[in-house]
Amino acid sequence: MRQLEVALVGAGLIARFHLDAWLGAGAAVRVYSDDGRAAGLAREFGARAVGSLAEALDGAGAVDICTPTASHHEIAMAAIAAGVGVVCEKPLAATTAEAEDIVAAAERAGVRLYPAHDVRFAPAFARLHELVAAGRVGAGSVGRFFFSAYHPRPWTGHASARSGGILTDQMLHGVDLAYWVFGDVVRVHAYYQGELATPAPEGAVAVGAAVLTHASGALSRVVSRWTATPRPPVRVAFDVSGTGGTVRYDSEWPQEVRVADGEPGNFGYAGESVFAAEMREFAQAFTGGPEPRLGARDALAAVRITQAAAESAWTGRAVELPVKEAAA
Amino acid sequence: MSGANTGARGGGVKVAVLSFAHERAETYARLLRDMPEVDLVTADPDAAPGDPARGRAMAERLGVSHVDSWDEVFAARPGAVVVTSEVDRRRELVERAAEAGAHVLCEHPLAAKEADAKAMVDACDTAGVRLTLASPACFGGAFAAVRQGIADGVVGTLSTIHGTYHCAPAARGAVDGGALGANAPFLLDLVDAVLDGEPAAQVYAQANHVLSGQSGVESAALVSVRYPSGTVAAIDCGWSLSPAGGPFVTFVGDRASVEYDACPRLLDGFDAATGGARWEPGGADPYSLMLKDFLSATGDGRRTGPDGAAGLRALRVVQAAYESVHTGQPVDIAAP
Repeated sequence: MRQLEVALVGAGLIARFHLDAWLGAGAAVRVYSDDGRAAGLAREFGARAVGSLAEALDGAGAVDICTPTASHHEIAMAAIAAGVGVVCEKPLAATTAEAEDIVAAAERAGVRLYPAHDVRFAPAFARLHELVAAGRVGAGSVGRFFFSAYHPRPWTGHASARSGGILTDQMLHGVDLAYWVFGDVVRVHAYYQGELATPAPEGAVAVGAAVLTHASGALSRVVSRWTATPRPPVRVAFDVSGTGGTVRYDSEWPQEVRVADGEPGNFGYAGESVFAAEMREFAQAFTGGPEPRLGARDALAAVRITQAAAESAWTGRAVELPVKEAAA
Repeated sequence: MSGANTGARGGGVKVAVLSFAHERAETYARLLRDMPEVDLVTADPDAAPGDPARGRAMAERLGVSHVDSWDEVFAARPGAVVVTSEVDRRRELVERAAEAGAHVLCEHPLAAKEADAKAMVDACDTAGVRLTLASPACFGGAFAAVRQGIADGVVGTLSTIHGTYHCAPAARGAVDGGALGANAPFLLDLVDAVLDGEPAAQVYAQANHVLSGQSGVESAALVSVRYPSGTVAAIDCGWSLSPAGGPFVTFVGDRASVEYDACPRLLDGFDAATGGARWEPGGADPYSLMLKDFLSATGDGRRTGPDGAAGLRALRVVQAAYESVHTGQPVDIAAP
């Protein structure tokens, strides 16, 4: 089978995780970034750096967009126009309109489009979805999806409080999970607290609490927090219930390895990275294998619901979402 | 490895599962059947005719190929065998496998008697084939990280190892007797790996049959093992009324302690279908990890998992433990 050629666009932290994972999945990668960092990143991993987006897309089977959100639309549309499949870091776009534009273009061009919602590839969430899909939770009743993290670098870029600011990206994890488990969302209400707009300093504190009403009648509570300290650096928990029982998870629970007392230092074990599982699944899809666990519909839903949450938090009103036929 | 028919790297390897006596054989056969690089054959000539869990009936249910005699299965020149027979059949099968140049994965215990176990280890050494004990918790990245961390000094100087392994009553075909013989080896293997094969000096053990209700079938055992270096291993093995999970071991040093859970909780909750607790395990499938490691060609000579010598050390500790249970006093193990 011909080796997959991936055009990685961007050279920041996420690009580095993706690059490592693509190479691990057996793909060849050419890296392009408009900030001059592509050469260094490519050299570090033994990949090739190129000098323009056009050069990156030339002969590529897929583009992987790891740039700031504002540039996602432009790069995705260029890739689609060139017939190159698209993997795009979340969120697909800054606005629902741009996201719909990208999805419609991909559908018209017959080009694959996969959002890099990497959390879906973590074992706890993948297993939750398997249980729900197999009917082991029955008809969904209530889900609570909790994410918190510490942002160890200053926030760059310019995102208004109205747009959801520093909460939007993180809300997307919980929103995507709720959508994956309970399906289409018809109404969103959210309260946001804290200094939301970017730029913002390292360790900026904010909390978002949303209520999602699903078309099925199920309800989701999505909570998203940026914390004041890195202890713990990340925490995820969920509690999902239905007629078939409940499913719970907390990232605080010990897994295979734990330093029970004393200083861990650098010691730890985290298992396989979500990025490895994710790029493996995407690479298989691009080379004739089965479709991955998510696609254009999920990219669009995540943007619509998070945008609705930001709008609700800003206006103080619940936001209705029409259930449209998926474009893809 | 000389004398072994492992098949070309990238090519297939013929693997034989010898027999279905041990209830884990079905799991191994299923996993091996689904590995594209494996050509699986099974044999179970000791099976009682008509037993649906044995012999050709089981092979057909699994959709795997089956031959009717030990002679036929060895004539097929397997590159590796998985020995899951009754305990008293294992020596013969392992010696035949060694003679045929096949690497061996064998369930604990190698044999009931130390002399038989020693003969098996020597036969594999002489033939230049690998002998590995089926101890799943020893395989995989998590335990490897624990071993490396301890070697790098994360706990400081290691002094104490506390291990627990409670599970359902002894697997069919595993051992005669109870929890001590069935479960202690899995914990002893983990200790042995971290202590780099240091043989035990003294063993104290107590057991009861409160849950089994049958004398001679111990359902709980506490074993304390002391090593010449001064390390103490405290082992708790037994039957559990709520079986879940795998070996759980704490490695204690003078600066910190590290816990290794071979089968941690990933998800919990309530399962309305069973009316009971929901419990989903985390980590990779341990049997799959073990089989893949066993079958992978180890070009650099590095081996994970307990080898024959480690299996023999575990057997000696278990025998000393049974003796201690009877005498009520610690038992010294002579250096071999």
